[in-house]
Amino acid sequence: MGTSCGEARHAANECDIKVFCCPKLGNSLEEYEDAWAHRQTRTPVGIRVAVADGATESSFAKLWAVLLAESYVRSELAGAEFFARLKPARRLWRRRLAGRPLPWFASEKAEQGAFAAFLGVEIDAHKNRWTALAVGDCCLMQVDDVGKGMRVLEMFPLQKSSQFTMSPYLIGSRSDSESLNERVQISKGSLRDGDMLLLATDAMAAWLLRQHEEGRPLWKWLYRKLGTPESFAAMVAYGRKNGLRNDDFTLVRVIHHDSPVEAKER
Amino acid sequence: MAYQAEISRKNPGCFLFLVDQSESMEDPFGGGEAGRRKAEELATILNKLIHNLCIRCAKSDSIYDYFHVGVLGYSEASCKPAFGGELSGRSLVPISELASKPLRIEDKVKKSDDGAGGVMDQTVKFPVWFDPYWKGGTPMCAALKEATKITQTWCQEHPNGFPPIVINITDGEATDGDLVAEARKLAAVSGEDGSVLLFNIHLSSTAGPSIELPGNGNKLPDQHAKQLFEASSTLTPFMVARATELGMPAEENSRGFIFNAQPLHVIHFLDIGTRPANVHLR
Repeated sequence: MGTSCGEARHAANECDIKVFCCPKLGNSLEEYEDAWAHRQTRTPVGIRVAVADGATESSFAKLWAVLLAESYVRSELAGAEFFARLKPARRLWRRRLAGRPLPWFASEKAEQGAFAAFLGVEIDAHKNRWTALAVGDCCLMQVDDVGKGMRVLEMFPLQKSSQFTMSPYLIGSRSDSESLNERVQISKGSLRDGDMLLLATDAMAAWLLRQHEEGRPLWKWLYRKLGTPESFAAMVAYGRKNGLRNDDFTLVRVIHHDSPVEAKER
Repeated sequence: MAYQAEISRKNPGCFLFLVDQSESMEDPFGGGEAGRRKAEELATILNKLIHNLCIRCAKSDSIYDYFHVGVLGYSEASCKPAFGGELSGRSLVPISELASKPLRIEDKVKKSDDGAGGVMDQTVKFPVWFDPYWKGGTPMCAALKEATKITQTWCQEHPNGFPPIVINITDGEATDGDLVAEARKLAAVSGEDGSVLLFNIHLSSTAGPSIELPGNGNKLPDQHAKQLFEASSTLTPFMVARATELGMPAEENSRGFIFNAQPLHVIHFLDIGTRPANVHLR
């Protein structure tokens, strides 16, 4: 389960996956409120990857982010119907809080529920296609390995760094069906050998897009150089001096291969 | 660029409320239900503001000290810290301490969704920090002078922090000097990230439509309102954007001035991290 920071390596059928994350500067690891998960799937044969970003201004958001990411990778639903089946995750969230003695302010905040942004990507390894599902501002970026600078093929659901706000619509741990359907975004695309998919929580995604917009793209570095927690930490340190907003950061890098590969260091 | 400092537990923000407790606050409030006094409206606003700040800072089973909060009451010939009970005499208090030390917590019953299409009664906690109070004159200039001292100390102790926000809640009739001149001195107190922001909430006996965050004083109904508008700081670009998000009519030159309306959104003008758009403000 994606709850610890650092690196996780996994060789699925046709993908190399690495996860990088770290908490907001000034916060402890226990206060990191993003979550991630990935899992091999049988129908279709492939892999599911998810990232979720618990909102700072909500309580027990980490737990909710973990439940969302885990629910997605264990589900077979790839469309908006996934969100209609969150009852067990919501029940689990409530159960974890039930009976806990809370002071008045904590109890009232918990009544509002926890909130998180979510992005899930299903990769169909046979058809070389992906389907992404998002609510909020976690982003998917697809970059190919063609040419010197590499090309950005897809940015989803936000396309520009200016589209990020401090108040996105998020998924609540209390039932909030009122307008969720209108907020769900879905995208699909195809994959070629060597394509890189990046799943990132908001601050990291916004910064990567801004670097791209300003002519200093990091895609090549992310593809070829990012490999260890230390290299991620170095990138974050560089970012903090160059406009990266202080937040929890999660970046999942998926590199797609047409044919099965063994787990190996790139 | 000013007003960019991140608010965190290490580098907290500061809200200082100045509350008018003069005898004119006994008069009826022009912007609400008949028979309600301005002093009652003020107590309601202040309790709600502190309540909402506590909820904003609540995190799982604890509360993060993103803000320190002070309240100065002005009446008769003086201005003094207005916290009661265990917090008596304190000028600025971390939000966690405020949350744990209200004067009392009342139980109120409210209707809520029962999850099955019906409505049920739910008991909710209503902490009370202030009761209505009124007596004597309106030494608002003394309050602004005291706020100047407190914020100077705060800025010295937090040189890189987000500048303090001072929120004056009054019926607008200062009896001890030139309100605008004192307000300018207060708004000149500054740290590395900019100068103090002064907002004014005008609770008038004059009935009429509420006015929020105006860019000019043209539509204000009387001289007191115009003077308070004059004494109010211009909102920062982030505040204009946040106010717009929250449905307030903010524009580039908007000032932190509200006439006969509840100013609850004002505490959301400072950013402490992602705020879900689908949480409805109380």
